[in-house]
Order: sequence, then structure tokens, then C-alpha cells
Amino acid sequence: MEKTRRLSRFLDPKLLAALSSMEIRARTVVEGMVEGLHKSPFKGFNVEFSEYRQYVPGDPLKDIDWKVYARTDKFYIKEHEEETNLSGYLVMDTSGSMSYKGQGSMSKIDYASTLAASLAYLMLKQQDSVGLVTFANGMRKMIRPRTGMAHLKAVCNELEATAASETTNIGASLDLVGQSMKKRGIFILFSDLMDNADVIIQKLRQLRTRRHEIVLFHVLDRDEISFPFDDTTIFHDLEDESEIVTDAFQLRSEYLQRVRQMMNTFKSALRKSGIDYLIADTSMPLEANLRSFFSRRQAVSAR
Amino acid sequence: MTFASPWFLLGLLGIAVPIYLHLYYRKTPVRKDFPSLRLIKLSVEFVARRRKMRNLLLMALRIITIILVVMALSKPFIGQSASARNSSDTPAAFVVLLDNSMSMGCTHQGISVFNTARSRALEILDQMQPGDRATVGLINDPGRLIFPQLTWDKEILKKSVSNVPLSMAGTSMASSILPGLKLLTPLKAYRRAIYVITDMTESSWQPFIEKYDLAKVEPGIDLIMVPVGGTAPDNMAVTGLETEAPIIMTGRQIPVKITIANHSPRSRRSRVSISINGERKLEEEVEIEANSVKDARIMATFAKTGMNHVTAAIQSDAMPFDDQRHLAVRVFEPCRILLIKPDSMPGQPENHEDTFVRFALNPLNRSKDNNFAVETRSTAEAKTAELKNFAAVCLINQRHLDTELIKRLSEYLMSGGNLITFMGNRVEPDWYNQHLIDDLGGSYLLPARIYKRVGNAVSRAVGYQMTDLDAGHPAFSIFARDGAGDPGRAQIFEFFQVRPNPTALLLARMSHGLPGIVEEKRGRGRSMLITFSADTSWTNWPVRPTWLPFLHQTLIAMITANELAIGTIRPGMPVSATITGEDARKLMLKMPDSNRIKISVQTGAQGLVHLNTRDTEQNGYYEILTDGGNRVLSAFAVNPINLRRIPRFIPLTHEAGSGGRSVKEKVSLLRDGYDLSGIALLALLLLAVIESWFANLPSARRVE
Repeated sequence: MEKTRRLSRFLDPKLLAALSSMEIRARTVVEGMVEGLHKSPFKGFNVEFSEYRQYVPGDPLKDIDWKVYARTDKFYIKEHEEETNLSGYLVMDTSGSMSYKGQGSMSKIDYASTLAASLAYLMLKQQDSVGLVTFANGMRKMIRPRTGMAHLKAVCNELEATAASETTNIGASLDLVGQSMKKRGIFILFSDLMDNADVIIQKLRQLRTRRHEIVLFHVLDRDEISFPFDDTTIFHDLEDESEIVTDAFQLRSEYLQRVRQMMNTFKSALRKSGIDYLIADTSMPLEANLRSFFSRRQAVSAR
Repeated sequence: MTFASPWFLLGLLGIAVPIYLHLYYRKTPVRKDFPSLRLIKLSVEFVARRRKMRNLLLMALRIITIILVVMALSKPFIGQSASARNSSDTPAAFVVLLDNSMSMGCTHQGISVFNTARSRALEILDQMQPGDRATVGLINDPGRLIFPQLTWDKEILKKSVSNVPLSMAGTSMASSILPGLKLLTPLKAYRRAIYVITDMTESSWQPFIEKYDLAKVEPGIDLIMVPVGGTAPDNMAVTGLETEAPIIMTGRQIPVKITIANHSPRSRRSRVSISINGERKLEEEVEIEANSVKDARIMATFAKTGMNHVTAAIQSDAMPFDDQRHLAVRVFEPCRILLIKPDSMPGQPENHEDTFVRFALNPLNRSKDNNFAVETRSTAEAKTAELKNFAAVCLINQRHLDTELIKRLSEYLMSGGNLITFMGNRVEPDWYNQHLIDDLGGSYLLPARIYKRVGNAVSRAVGYQMTDLDAGHPAFSIFARDGAGDPGRAQIFEFFQVRPNPTALLLARMSHGLPGIVEEKRGRGRSMLITFSADTSWTNWPVRPTWLPFLHQTLIAMITANELAIGTIRPGMPVSATITGEDARKLMLKMPDSNRIKISVQTGAQGLVHLNTRDTEQNGYYEILTDGGNRVLSAFAVNPINLRRIPRFIPLTHEAGSGGRSVKEKVSLLRDGYDLSGIALLALLLLAVIESWFANLPSARRVE
């Protein structure tokens, strides 16, 4: 635990930004982060039956096989074994808005890429298969899920090579991604969700109905959350290059209200559908985001 | 260049405020990348809508600012038309209206309000300059202008104001203000004003304000209120005086009802007294609750026949004019009534068909303390009766009458006597029609021709009832009140079918429509025909409770019908009546102050004369004298308006001149007006500061 804490100090985005290789970044994050974790965060998701054993006090009652009890009048516990070939899809929004870099050291896409690479490393380390999809106005690149640590390099190279550009069409992109996902798996989306909220929620629900496990990292810069502007400002849109002149000072309260409203809309709508919704604030340490991700996953596993 | 108000230049320091605000809030746009303008655009739209309202408010402020600038530059004045002010040499034309209504008679702080008003009017007239024109008017009911045209003669106007008497009438604003406005309207070259000197009683102003729109008064004419007096004083008033008897006979005690109102917020006690013909008779102490009315009843006896003057009075207070009330009552000698009943047949018992009539008119057969003294004679005895001594004669079921008696009855009727004819089984229709109608020519006795008998009083198979009672006739008006009985409940089993004369009145019908009771004015008298019997042989009415009041009311109505009754009127109201030519000889009006004035008359048709007078300004008892003042024809009382509510006074306005200024100063102020340009400039300065502050008001909190 002591070592974990020590390493965690170095997981600050400013320090990570200094590491040029995405693979090294990922390893740094994960090694510092998951050391001391005894259980896979994906346990209970894709498992196979192993054996029966006699019930001993302290075992969870939910694991008792009531059918066996009915036949033998004895309590047996159903033991499971983890499956090794879990498929994880890392879906990365690479639209122009993701290139925004506020007062922090990492742009939104850098932050999201590091987060994605960390998760890829973690999953590959646990013998799971990991794939990568990048999209903006449509699907840009897709790397099919594979196992083995050698695959991490390919994923990290692609993340490094992808530059944020173009406008966003999340709905259409998710449709394409969904069609290309042949096997049920975990679907981890990194996006700033700068698109129609209703469409996004609808498409994610459709994916969820195909029994994909979905985790959404809503990547936002601190500037987007706090809107720290004060003067008359010409705002330049990073996606469609449009501009608007406005008094930021007068606009602030209304804008912040709308941001809060947007986050609350996603949070309530997606969680109702069983989709994990996590805010990825780029000014926060990656470790914090990963930890909240793991705690959410463990909660899901417990269910 | 000089400045009339140089201290206003300090306002130039206010320029610093907008300059500071401008510099403080100056902004230079900076360019900033942002992930997506989606939310910003939505926010901008919303904020823009919110700012729109603010901008509208700003626009309104700026418009008011411009209006104030323009107003300040145009130097507004109030209290006088601009054209008149521009030329101070312009002569004035004005009307001074002096309220001399009854309410001005009260005292305020020991000083007569009316005297105060008069001195105010004189002060206004004192300011009249050579070339000015003015007139004086009175605000009472009906109001008038003393001089119908404007005059230059100040002294005449002042003299007329000094001689204006206090009226006992109410207030009619319209009758003096409107002629005043009409007089001033064409004089556009003059400075014009109407000064209204009044105690501002609400009761007088309210109807005027409700009926006329003062805003429509021509703008060039100033309507200036000069109020006098104070708030409503604690006042007690005699608001009602009446006798509670339908007819008053000498020597009979009758109750006199006096209504006293206490228009003050506390309970008060006063002595109320009655005087008859100036002689104080009785008095009684009464206590009246706050803001309430109380009736007091005092028994009084009248000794003099003819017209009597009754005065009810309470102790004098701040409003003395309503502390006494007058009443004119006519007092009669006890009336003698002659009943002529059928002669008894030889060998038969005495006829008693008169019993029910006699009993109804004088139940105890008393010679004193009764309204009616009844004498019964048989047909034979009646020949010698002196008919002129009787107020009325009743013929009861007569078969035939002596020719001499018929002639005397006709003369009696035409000279003012009253005849009531009851039918019965002895009546022969043909004889009645022949001798009582046809043979007498124009001096006939009966109001209807008699035909056959209807019904059967022996079998009593069918009982008829009276319907369509003439509630307007005094004989039946008493039954119009609830609980006073209904003559229609009496049953008539047999009666004569009659046909009323063209000028006769049908007072009641039988239930199937035939006439039941008919009356006709004959000469100076009246004749009534009752188509059934006076006893219970044909009807059960004589034993029903409505019989007695019917007979009493009928006889009282007949006896008093020829008397000229005017009653009680308000001050200033005209008195008019139609009398016979012989009563109209040298008519005079005796005023309460004992002065006598001649009454003008107009001769009408059929020897009738119409009298008319408006000399009724004074409160009190008036007598109409005839024969050169030797005979009292009638009398009436003039009483002040019956104030049912405590008089409320309209609060004084600023023109009303509250404060210590004299009337002279107030009038001068009103004539010269207020210069509003200074006020406009101050308002402008204040508004400019508000506008600058509001226009730059931040709409969100600054980021720390």
C-alpha cells in the first residue's frame, strides 16, 4: 500500500504528459494504480462454471444452487472460473473539440488516450482481448480485439498517431461501431459528448440492449466546467471553426447552468439504462478517474 | 450670460458619473478557442432574451429623460394657462361663487363659516384690477349668478357679497358653476378663473362630480377651490315631525312623533320640546346613541280649529339651522254625521239598520273625545234637519224621500257636503234613478244609475267579494299596508247592479266584475254609493274588522278633500295649488318673519285659479291668506334638508390652502402659477444618474 501511494504521486497529468510514449504512460499509470488490487475488476462478467462445493457459513446465499438443494436436500455452492478471452472495445472520440487544452498540461484527447491505454494495458495483462475504435464525424480507424501484451503497442501507436479534427457525429459513429462489434464485450467510450444528448443516449441504449457492457468517460476540461472567462470574448469553435462574440461575464451563470444540466441528463439517463457514466476532468489525476472506474466496476460485479 | 439658478450648474459634476462608468466597464474582446460553441450559443440566445426586457426599460428611462429635457426647456407652469402667463398685462375675467347653502350656517371655532366665506370672497374681489371683469354667484339649491353678466364694478360686486343671505336650501353645484363656465368660455383673451368658496360637503359635491366631468372644463379656465370651515361638527338635528292621527279634532289628545338624529360619534342627551302656535307646550329629555336616530312621542292637544303651527326643537348646537322643525296641521271640530234610516212601519219594531254605521263611527256614543258625533233621524225627522251643520249625511236603505228633502240634499251636496248612500231591500231602482238623478238635472245626487238586484240574501247561496280595490283612494289606501286587513274577505250576498256616471270613480268591484262602490265629486261635495246594505242583511262586512277603518277613512277623506293641503317642503321649493275663484280673493303669503307678500295667481278654466310662489327661502311656518288676509286658506312648513347622514367634508387639497398662507397669498399663487422647470431639471438629473447606473448594471457575478 505504501508503494502504491508513492507511485500515485507520479500519476499527475502534468508528469504523465512529459512521458512521450503512450505505452510507458499506460504502464506507469496501471502499475502505480492496480498494485494491491486482488480481484479483477471484470470478474463475474464473462465466467464459466467450475465445480460445486459444500456450503460453509459465511458464503453468500446468492451462490447456493437451489436446484441441487431440491434434489439432494444439501446446500452446494456453485463455483465459477474466469474466462480469459473478455473482449474490450476502447472507443475514442477524436473530433476537433477533443483537441482543446485549457490551463492544464494535457489536451482532452491526450488525457482520454492515456486513460484508454491504461485500461488496455490492464486488460491485456489479465489475458483479455482489447480493440480500439476512433471516430469523429464517422468511424476513422478500428483495431480488432486481440490478446497478448504485444497488442498493446499497436493500440498505443494508434492512439498516439490520431490527431483530433473534424466535427462530431457520435450517433452515426456509434451505429457503425455497434455493427462492427461481432462479439459481446465491454464497450468503453471516451468522448466530450458535444452532440445531441438525446441521440447519444438513444444510441448507447441500443448498444446496451445488445448486452454490451458500456462505460462512458465524459471527458471535460476544467474550463468547460467552470467557464473562467470574464471579458468580452470572441469564442472560436474547434470543430466547425465558427466564432461568436459575447460578454463571457454576463453569459457565465447561464452557461454553467446548462453544463450542469447536460451532465445531470447523461448521468440520470445512462445510469437508468445500466450504463456507467464517469466524468473525466482533465485537471484531475488519472488515478482518480481509474479508481472511480474500478469502484464502479466492483459494484457492478457485486450485483 | 447669467443664470437664474446658478446652483443648478453643480449638476454638471454629474457628467463624471457616466464617464467613470464607461471607463470602468470598457471591454476589449479577446479571442479564445473553445471545444464547442453549442452550449454557448444556446446560452447567448437565452441571455439575449433576458436583456431585451432590460433594454426596453432602458429605452423607457431614456424617453422620460428626453421628455424632461423638453419640459425643462419649455419652462412649465401650473396654476395658469401659458398664454395668460406670457402676458401678465392680460386682464382677468373671473366668477366668485359663494356657497350659501344650509351647511354653511354652522360655526367653526366659534366663528360663522358663512361669514368666513363672505370675507374670503371680499378678499378675492379686492384683487380685481382695472380692466378685470367679474361676477358673483351663489351655490345653493337652486344656485344662480347674482349678476348674469360680468361687470367691471368692483364695489357693486363687493356690496352684493356683503348682502348675500344664508340660504336654508341644499347645494346645487351645477346650477352656478355651469353658467359661470358658459360665461367665461368665449372670453379667450382674458385670464379666466372660477373661485368656489365652499365648505366642501361631500353630499353637495358628489352628485356634481359624478354627473359632470370636470376634466372637460376648458383648459384655459381655472377652477379654484377656496374651502372654508373645518371638519364635520358634532351635530344633533330634528329630522322628522309628524302627527300620528289621520285627522285632528279639537280637544283630542294625539301623539306627535319627533325624530331626532345624533350625527356625532358619542351618545348625547338633549331636551326636545313642542310648541303649538308659538306657545311652548311640552318637553321631554331624550338620550340618543352615537350616529343613530331616535323617535320621541309627545301627546299634544289642539284647541284651535283650522291651521296650527307645530314646532319641535332641541337645544341649539354648532349647526343651529336643523335644531328645529316645523309642521302645519289642520284641526277640525268634531264632525257631525247624520244617518237617515227608514221610517219604522206601523206596528213594527223600530228599525235598526243604522246600528253598524253608528257603532263604527262612535262606539260608545260619546259626545266628547270622539272624532265623529253621530245623529240618527228617520226619513220623516230628517225633513227638519239643518244639513249644513253636518259634515256628512248617510242615506240608509231609503224607499222614497220627500221632494223637499231631496232638494235640500242636492243643495247641501253641491255646496260642499258629503253624501253616502247605502242600498237595501227597500230601494226601488226606478224611483232612485228618476228622483235622485233625472229630475235633478245637473244637481243629481247619485254617482251611478241603479238597475236590478244581484244575488240572494235569503238563501245566501252565493257570496260575492270585493276586488280591484282602489288602493290610491284614501278609503282603501290604509289596507295597502301589510297586516292592515283585507276588505275583500267580506262576503256580499246581494247587491244592486249599477252603472257609474262618466265622471265617477269606481272604488271597488264585485268578484264577477260589477261595480261595488262608486264615488263622484258633485259640486264642492262628494257622493258615494255603496251597492249593498249598511247592516248584515245583505253582507257580513259590518261585522268584520275592516268595516270600521273603511268608514273612518272614507269620511275623513270626504271631509278633508276640499281643504288645501301643501304639507312640508324644502327651502326654495315652489308652492303651487289650484283653488276656487272665491278662495283666491287677494291672496297673500304670511312668511315666518310675519311679513306678508302678495301671491300671484293665474285664472284657469271652470273658475279655478292657480297660485304659485317661490318665496320659500326661510325655514318656518307659512300661511296662505285670502280675503285680504282675513282668512287662512291653508298653511305649510318649510324645513331644512333632512340630513340622513353626518355631513362629510372633502379633504382639503393643496389649492385648498392648508397651511398658514392668507387667502390673498393663495389666490395670488394660484393666479401666478408654479414654475415647474426647476423640478423638471432636478428630475432629469436624477433620471440620468439612474439610467447610467442601470444601463451598466452587471447581470452576473464577477468571477473571483
